[in-house]
Amino acid sequence: MTQLLSVKNLCKSFGDQLIVNSVSFDVNESSTLGIVGESGSGKTTLVRSILRAIDPDSGSVRYNGEAGWQNLHELSAKELLPLRREVQMIFQDPFASLNPRMTVQTILEEPLVIHDLGDKAWRKQRVMEMLEKVQLDPSSAARFPHAFSGGQRQRIGIARALILEPRLVVCDESVSALDVSVQSQILDLLKALQSELGLTYLFVAHDLRVVREFCDEVLVMYSGNVVEQGPVEEVFNSPDHDYTRLLLSAIPSPDPDEKLDPLDRATLNLQLA
Amino acid sequence: MSANNLVSINNLTVEFKTELGSVTALKDVSFDLPRNCITAVVGESGSGKSVTSNSIMRLLPDSAQTSGEIILYPQKSEPISITSLAEKDPRLRSLRGGLVSMVFQEPMTALSPVHRIGDQVAEAVLCHREVSKEAAWSEAASMLEQVGLTDVQQKMRMYPFEFSGGMRQRVIIAMALICHPQLLICDEPTTALDVTIQAEILVLIKSLQQKLQNSVLFITHDLGVVAQVADRVVVMYDGQVLEVGDVKQILKNPQHPYTCHLLASMPGAERRTTKESKQKNWAAGAALGGGTALATAEDGRQVREFVR
Ligand SMILES: Nc1ncnc2c1ncn2[C@@H]1O[C@H](COP(=O)(O)OP(=O)(O)OP(=O)(O)O)[C@@H](O)[C@H]1O
Ligand SMILES: Nc1ncnc2c1ncn2[C@@H]1O[C@H](COP(=O)(O)OP(=O)(O)OP(=O)(O)O)[C@@H](O)[C@H]1O
Ligand SMILES: [Mg+2]
Ligand SMILES: [Mg+2]
Repeated sequence: MTQLLSVKNLCKSFGDQLIVNSVSFDVNESSTLGIVGESGSGKTTLVRSILRAIDPDSGSVRYNGEAGWQNLHELSAKELLPLRREVQMIFQDPFASLNPRMTVQTILEEPLVIHDLGDKAWRKQRVMEMLEKVQLDPSSAARFPHAFSGGQRQRIGIARALILEPRLVVCDESVSALDVSVQSQILDLLKALQSELGLTYLFVAHDLRVVREFCDEVLVMYSGNVVEQGPVEEVFNSPDHDYTRLLLSAIPSPDPDEKLDPLDRATLNLQLA
Repeated sequence: MSANNLVSINNLTVEFKTELGSVTALKDVSFDLPRNCITAVVGESGSGKSVTSNSIMRLLPDSAQTSGEIILYPQKSEPISITSLAEKDPRLRSLRGGLVSMVFQEPMTALSPVHRIGDQVAEAVLCHREVSKEAAWSEAASMLEQVGLTDVQQKMRMYPFEFSGGMRQRVIIAMALICHPQLLICDEPTTALDVTIQAEILVLIKSLQQKLQNSVLFITHDLGVVAQVADRVVVMYDGQVLEVGDVKQILKNPQHPYTCHLLASMPGAERRTTKESKQKNWAAGAALGGGTALATAEDGRQVREFVR
């Protein structure tokens, strides 16, 4: 198995608050790493500093792309440009990340234009293909973001990220606004692309059922620290850390007779080592 | 007069006029929101859940053409026909500013980027109650603690962009709850929260509902959340209401094939079904246009299994 990404001792503070505390992990090509954890524990900050959307304080991010191993944080803006095609991010807040004055056609076409791919007719066709793949009507292309539902906007973001056929896709809560039926279709799509093109996913999500279904490995974050990581089934079946146990105990059952009764924080050891 | 219902939605149809022709978002939607009750709305992405709740708040854009009627029966005043209120009618202000409050689906769009979190939540208190600034600030602080934020005094001096997605969502929930509305509308309020915070928020919404004896319209696609929080469930698909019922009936004994399909699509459900039957389910779901023919007996059995 080829390694695609290697993150070592990544740290990021805002002011005097340490938000990401020395996080390290490796990801193999064509695999999916889930990142779960407390709200506010630093998941978005972590993935954004990996992609250099924000500058980390220390640590390294090495990426094994088409140009071989490179340290992402040592590249100049110009050297980074080709990587902008290989690595894509789907943002947590779909509305805020879509330009309200652009039609969906322009939004989806933009990455192709930036990377100077194809002619107009080809690009138009690619947009139509992507819309179909994320289960949106072809007529969507001419509409503006405000004319869509939350889940439809989320799918526009997904289509935009996938249109360049990237190698690494970072999904930050990317299927959270979808009903379970459309969600499972989108996850099937992501899986199909993975086996077809060898895509690798970093998959930040709160829905633990989805993570269990979709990811190979999982990393559990609590208060800026990785408290547990390993193959999904192992972590879900025999969690080591009390925070992971707490998370698993708080998944609501769809059986109304089974009342949710999460573990009591007071009885757990949530101290960080 | 309606003794039992806070809101009645009757034959609501909403069409958006666009340059490319019209989009029908709701077709003849009718259901009630009983008093002292949490009603969940589940359904397909794009099925009209947010358009329904925005219609109750009269927040649809000018391009929307509405027919049908929404009537609100407030506790101590005359019924209000929401759909026929003029834009300048003072009752519209009282509707949006207190009778009904809403947790929006996308938190960033509901917060002002240039005001501190604390000021925004305190402002929500000041809009609804005649209290001093200090009292509003401390009420805001206590509500933010109840939604699970820590170091509240420090966080209240921060701006929305300095908050995580889930922290912003909790601010919006706090702002809606602090108004003590007769109708609380929550549009996907817990999607950005980890499950432990989600569990706490669900308990908070339920206990405030019981204390205030108000009504809650709770839009979610998480059937686990529905099971934990709702008394009644409305199932929507393609702008229509397919099924309305008691939470136990809908989740344990769903009548409509689409509801069965939703239950079968829950992540994890696949582990118990074979790939083929999953695909069949999928195709059946896609073919649902007419709202009939779905789920064979075999599928019927599988969908009723609950997954952990
Ligand atoms: N620009 C910023 N300035 C100051 N603090 C920030 C900034 N961005 C994030 N933070 C803080 O960093 C912490 C982690 O935020 P982050 O968005 O990474 O969390 P998260 O794990 O993605 O949470 P969620 O699941 O709620 O999205 C939070 O306490 C947040 O307040
Ligand atoms: N301003 C608008 N102009 C045109 N069409 C619109 C507009 N707003 C919503 N729609 C359409 O109305 C339909 C219903 O949208 P709505 O936002 O109510 O869906 P929803 O059930 O809330 O979905 P989700 O679960 O994805 O949030 C969608 O097909 C959407 O594209
Ligand atoms: Mg986040
Ligand atoms: Mg919606």
